[in-house]
Order: sequence, then C-alpha cells, then structure tokens
Amino acid sequence: MPNILALILAAGRVDELSLLTLDRPKSAVPFGGLYRVIDFALSNLMQSRIGRVGILSQYQSTSLITHIGTGESWDMIGRHRKVTLLPPSSGGQGCEWYRGTADAVAQNMEFIVENEPDLVLILSGDHIYHMDYQELIHFHLTQKADLTVGFVKVPSAEAPRFGLGLIEKKSGSPGGRLREYQEKPAQPISSWASLTIYLFRPQVLFEVLRSPEAGNPPLEFGRDILADMVHRYRVFGYRFKGYWGYTRTLEEYWQTHMDLLVPRPKIRLPEWEIRTNLEHERIAERQPVRVGPRARLTQVLLTPGCEVEGRVRRSVLFPGVVIEEGAIVEDSILFYDTRVGAGARLKKVITDKRVTIGEGSRVGGEDLPASNRSHPGLLSSGLTLIGHNTQVPAQTVIGANCLIYPHLDRQAFPSNSLPSGEILQ
Amino acid sequence: MSATLVMLLAGGVGSRLSLLVSARAKPAVPFGGNYRIIDFTLSNIMNSGLERVGVLTQYKPLSLMNHIGSGRAWDLTGRTRGITILPPQTGKKDSDWYKGTADALRQNLDFLTRYDTEEILVVSGDHIYYMDYIPMIAYHRRKKADVTVAMREVPWDQAIHFGIGQKDENGRIIHWEEKPKEPKSNLASIGVYLFRTEYLLKVLTETQAVDFGQHVVPQAIGWDRVFAYPFSGYWRDVGTLAFYFEAHQELLDPASGLNPESWGIQTNLEVEGLKGDRPPIFIRQGARVSRSFLSSGVVIEGRVEGSILSPGVRVKKGAQVLNSIILHDGEIGAGAVLNRVILDKKVVIGEKARVDGRSAVPNREFPAHLSEGITLVGKKAFIPPGLVVKGNCLLFPDLKGEDYPGAVIEEGMTVRPRED
Repeated sequence: MPNILALILAAGRVDELSLLTLDRPKSAVPFGGLYRVIDFALSNLMQSRIGRVGILSQYQSTSLITHIGTGESWDMIGRHRKVTLLPPSSGGQGCEWYRGTADAVAQNMEFIVENEPDLVLILSGDHIYHMDYQELIHFHLTQKADLTVGFVKVPSAEAPRFGLGLIEKKSGSPGGRLREYQEKPAQPISSWASLTIYLFRPQVLFEVLRSPEAGNPPLEFGRDILADMVHRYRVFGYRFKGYWGYTRTLEEYWQTHMDLLVPRPKIRLPEWEIRTNLEHERIAERQPVRVGPRARLTQVLLTPGCEVEGRVRRSVLFPGVVIEEGAIVEDSILFYDTRVGAGARLKKVITDKRVTIGEGSRVGGEDLPASNRSHPGLLSSGLTLIGHNTQVPAQTVIGANCLIYPHLDRQAFPSNSLPSGEILQ
Repeated sequence: MSATLVMLLAGGVGSRLSLLVSARAKPAVPFGGNYRIIDFTLSNIMNSGLERVGVLTQYKPLSLMNHIGSGRAWDLTGRTRGITILPPQTGKKDSDWYKGTADALRQNLDFLTRYDTEEILVVSGDHIYYMDYIPMIAYHRRKKADVTVAMREVPWDQAIHFGIGQKDENGRIIHWEEKPKEPKSNLASIGVYLFRTEYLLKVLTETQAVDFGQHVVPQAIGWDRVFAYPFSGYWRDVGTLAFYFEAHQELLDPASGLNPESWGIQTNLEVEGLKGDRPPIFIRQGARVSRSFLSSGVVIEGRVEGSILSPGVRVKKGAQVLNSIILHDGEIGAGAVLNRVILDKKVVIGEKARVDGRSAVPNREFPAHLSEGITLVGKKAFIPPGLVVKGNCLLFPDLKGEDYPGAVIEEGMTVRPRED
C-alpha cells in the first residue's frame, strides 16, 4: 500500500452561512445532530485506512482545534498515524496568512517533504459525503496519473457554481483523462463538478506550486492551477457516484437537515459509520434522552442529554437540548443546550448553541414573510437564525427571515416583538 | 487526600439476576440505557478525585475487563492515576479462588502495600448510587477510626437483607448483625468500608476473616474503633430482577433522584465491532413515544411507553414496547407487543409476537428469581413471528425458532435450547 499523506483544507469560512460561521470555520459547523462537517472527511480517511493527516486551519480555528483534539476519535494516533494542525505561521519561508487553497499547501511544503509520502491527497473539510479514497488511489495508480481530481454530477442549473471538468469517457472505467477544466464558467462545459479532491504525485505538486519567476504565484488550485495543468501533465478525472452535500447557503443547510428526516435519507448516517469527537461539547458525559409523559415526537433526530416534554416535529436536536412542557418545535435545527421554555413555539428556526427561548415566545412561522432587510439573498424562505448564547425573553414574538446575533441578553430585545425580516445586533 | 487506595469488589456472581449474569459479572450488567452497574462506583471514585484503584474480579470477568479498558473513561490513566485488574492467581502459598471479600484483599497484599496510603476504601461495583467519598474520609480521620462503614436508614422490612448496625451518640458502632432475622435497628451498610491501612493489613495477616460484613466488622466491634458514616440519598441494590426493573422505572421520573448525568456518571462508549459512533436517535413518522429513556442509535417507528431502550434498539412499525427494558441492538418486529419484559442484548422479536410479562404465577423452576410479573429473554434469543409468551417466563440465550415447544409459552415456563 502506498504511503499517503492527506491534507484537509479546513480554513474557509462561508459567508452565506452567516452567523453559523461567525465564530467557526465551515468545517467546524455542527451537522446532523451529533457531528461537525469535517467529521465526514475524517471518517472517510479513517475507513480508507489513511492515518497521516495535516489540517490546514486559519479562520476562527479554536472550535476546530478543540474538535480535532489528539485525533484519537478517528484512530489517527499511533506509531505511523498522526493528525497535525497546520495554522499559518510566521518566521519561515511562508510567513503570511493563507491566501487560498494552493497557497496554504505551498506554505506547508516542508511538512509534506518531511513526511516523504508516495502520494498527497488534498481534500476539503467542508463537504458531506461518504467515499472510499482507496478506489480513487487505485485508479490513480493504474492510470499512472500525475494528478487525479474527483468529480460528481450536479444538476445543470447548478453547474455554474462549481469548477467543472470535461472527462474523457472510457467504458468500464470510473474515470478518464481530464481534457478541460474551468472554474465557475458562465457557460458550463459539463455537469461534472469538482469535489475539491486532488490526488497528487508529490513531485508534480511541488512543481505546480513553485512560484513563477515572473508574475503572481498561484493561490487557488481551482482558479490558478488545474486549467493549465490539464495540458501539461497526466491529469485524470474520477467520477464519484455517491451523494455529495456541499451546503453553501443557510437555505441549503436547513434543507439538508430536513432531508435527513425523510423515510430513506440520502445521507445514511447509520451505514456511513461516521465518527465524531465525543469529548467535544461533553457528548460522552450526557445521559440518554428522557422523553416525558406528555411529549409527542415525529420525524425527529435526538442526541444524548436531550429532554423532551413538549411536541417536536421534523426537527434535529443536538445534545443537551431541552423542550419544556407545552412547547411546540417544528422544522427546526437546535444546537447544543438550546432550551425552549414552556409553551414557546418555534417554526423553521436555527438556534446556535446555548440559546434560550423564554416561556410562551414565538419564533418564525409567518406565511409569506418579508425578506431579510440587509441580507435578502440569504434569508427569504422564512428561516430565522439565532446566534449562540442569546436569550430570547418570555412572551416575545419574532418573525420569519430574522437574523438575531449571538450573546444578546434579555435587555437587548427592544420590545416584545420583532417583525419578519429584521436584524437584531 | 490522594493517599487513599480504592479496592473495588467486582467478583460477585449476582445469581438472582438470573440470565442477565449468565455470561457476565453483576457489575458488568447493563443499566440505564448506556451504562453498566459498575459505572456508578467508578464515576464516584473519579468524581471524588481518588486516583489508585484495584478491581477484584473472579466470576466471568471478560465483559467487565473490556468495559474498564485502560480506565480512561473515568480519568484513571496518567502518571499518578491508574486502575489495575486483580484476578485470582495461583503460584503463591495461599493461592486459590477468592473465598470472600476480605479473602480477596488478603490474596492481594502485595498490591495493598505497593502504594504509600493512609486508608484503603473498599467498595463494591454492585450498586446504583451517588456518593462523594471525600467527606467520609474526613469523618474517618476526625474520628480516628480503624474502620468506618457507610450506613443508611432503610425501611424496617428491608433490614433483613443487609448488615445492620446500632451506633452510640458519637457514631461509634456498638452492635452489628449480618442479615438479621429480627433486626434491632434499620441502619444498614451500603457496602462502603474505609480502613486505616495499617489496621486492615493487621486484620488480614493476623486473622482468618473471609468476609468484611460477616467477620471483619463484627469481630472488630467492642475492640477497635468502628464508626458509622451516615449516608442519605439515592441508593439501590439492583441485585434482583424486581429491583433492577424498579430502578429503571425510576429513571423515567426526574423526581426519583436517579439522574446519572447530574451525578457525573461516565461510561466507556467504545463498542466492539462498530466502526462509527452510534448515530442520533431517529423517531420516524408514525411513531409514538412517551415517558421513556432512549439511547443513541435507537430507531422508532412504533409505540414506546414507560420503557428504557439501550443503544441501537429498533422498534418497527406497529410494534408496541410498554414498561420494558430492551438492551443493546434489540429488534422488535412489526406489530409485536411487549409489556413488562427485559430483553438482554441482540434479541430479535418476530413480527406480531406477543410477550406479556404480567403474571401471578412464579416461574416454576426459579420461583425465587422470577415471581414479580416480568418475562426475561436471554442474549441473542430469537422469538418467532406470532409466538405468544406469557408472564414470569425465562427464555434462554441463543434460542432459535425450533427450540420452542409450541405457539404459546404458558405462565412461569422456562425455554432452553434443545440439545441435539
């Protein structure tokens, strides 16, 4: 088995996720009740038996660093297994913030050289999918490729949002020569979108990252490197046939969660055998879920430490969420230790961790609400987002498409009602 | 306060738990969805900040040893902290099976003297309780005691099951009886003993005492300084199926005082044979769940009420699980109905089978174990579709469809695998 070094790009924040990425990179955003987004890439690596991993982090990385811990949760600890966090550093060759994916990798050249890998697997920590990287590696080796890029088919209407590849067809093969690559073209050249999975021969990686004698250094793999490489190296495209969740907007994030609650979800959490760090947010210390005598639950994901006395429908509850008696929660995603007071009603709401909703309050649920005042592109479908540690006072009415910032206490609420589309800061 | 060594007695058979202890020691019996009985004592040790633990094992220790692992789940790893499994060993003069609690310690004198300790705390892994041992250690030192026994008041009619003591106004124990027929007091030992190290070593080397409750404590009274440390709070012996069942019902009532998380109870969540973590609980459309305790990985499509579901249990469409305890990865087939049933791990209930534990007829073979109207099904047993099982029945582990004598298992019956 070749010696593989994996690098996970986990530095990015995604503006369209708004308050969810205010204090954490996208890779550390909570997902599916129990997980962080990066758990999917880490679990894929573990199950592909790749145990040496570097994580390129930058933006608000405390939450990510806590989550990764020693790497033990993904079995990345041992004689030949190790996870290394690679934040930008000063004093060395590269003494700057990461300016892009390729720049981040270029600044960690020494780390790659030290590990003496046969192949370097570069992944994004931002995506929800289940993949055996060994199949990609096998394909790469049989093709004697310099670079293999993973692609997935997306609906043609969505295609202009992604880097697209034109892959040669070869029957019976999971991929073929990559004939052309274009980053977010207005006119799509295909409907195969890059998964941001790059498998490089190290020598080739070093060559393409080397700063040119004249002109600007390449900063992004997609934008600055791939299109040109196609003509100069043996570059292959690998077609991935599974589900790929990219959730780049709040609306997509919410919808992906609702899709977990259908009879046959595409994201098959039990079968994918995802691992997370159970020490993070004290998940391991929490007890089983206590369901009260008057509770009613349907289409709900529940996690350790939740307590439900009220009614919950089509929702995902993260560890430690408490729904008091008479409360009604629908179409919502509630992060760690959110507390919904007695008789409160929530519809289509995302609460970040440790939010409390006072007794008898109402959030969301208005028909045909006004879009958000400052971010109409972000919040127009009726979703309301409440930042972490905010305390909504009792008997307060909050509309739909509202954005409520973190750490607001009861005094921060001007009156007992906030119309749809408002922002509270 | 770290100069206290803990000796955890985990060797007991606990035979009154019947099939639940057919392949595991009593401390390893699952409890409360996620936990095992021993987690309560191990967590109390951790939360008291005690750092050195010896675990005395004897009966079927494999599942217990796997569970304890390195001791990490209870923070018992590190430079000054550690947990050591002490099985019976041969090759020494007096080597033999452990004959009792004191004898078990006597056979591990080298371990007892390995560390420089002031006291040795002897606890059992058999009880569901929360206790901070530090105030007891402080009390022991203040009283300059040789032995301190933690004691609580129990209802008079239960006193016959315990070591019962009478104390004077200073807390000194002046009279002791082990499981008395006519108790003179209702002050009962909870099985937590604290010894001055020097004193314990002397007792173990100079006497032949085999058991702490039967020999060591009674012999010391009147001669040595034996004190009662008053304990109050939730404490349950779950050593019978009826007690085990009742304590589980108390999990469903927050006012009962049984709240593992608020007590800081930890368990080892690593599961053999599972690559991933247990996923979230999934309550599907059409499910009805109330007054229940649910662990990770549970999937419910049917109705669950008054029940405790361990990790990975699946309740299919139209199935009803009422007032029952279902251990790990049980599968309740569509339309099946369970009431007052305890299922050990990995039991599969066929579609439309009915198991109703309620009955006034005790189990015919094991009336002492099973008479309270509960049916117990052993690990990995299969109950065929449509089978009717009545109350106080005992279904052995690994049963297959062909092992059943008919379509109805009458009250008080026991079913074993057929011998070829």
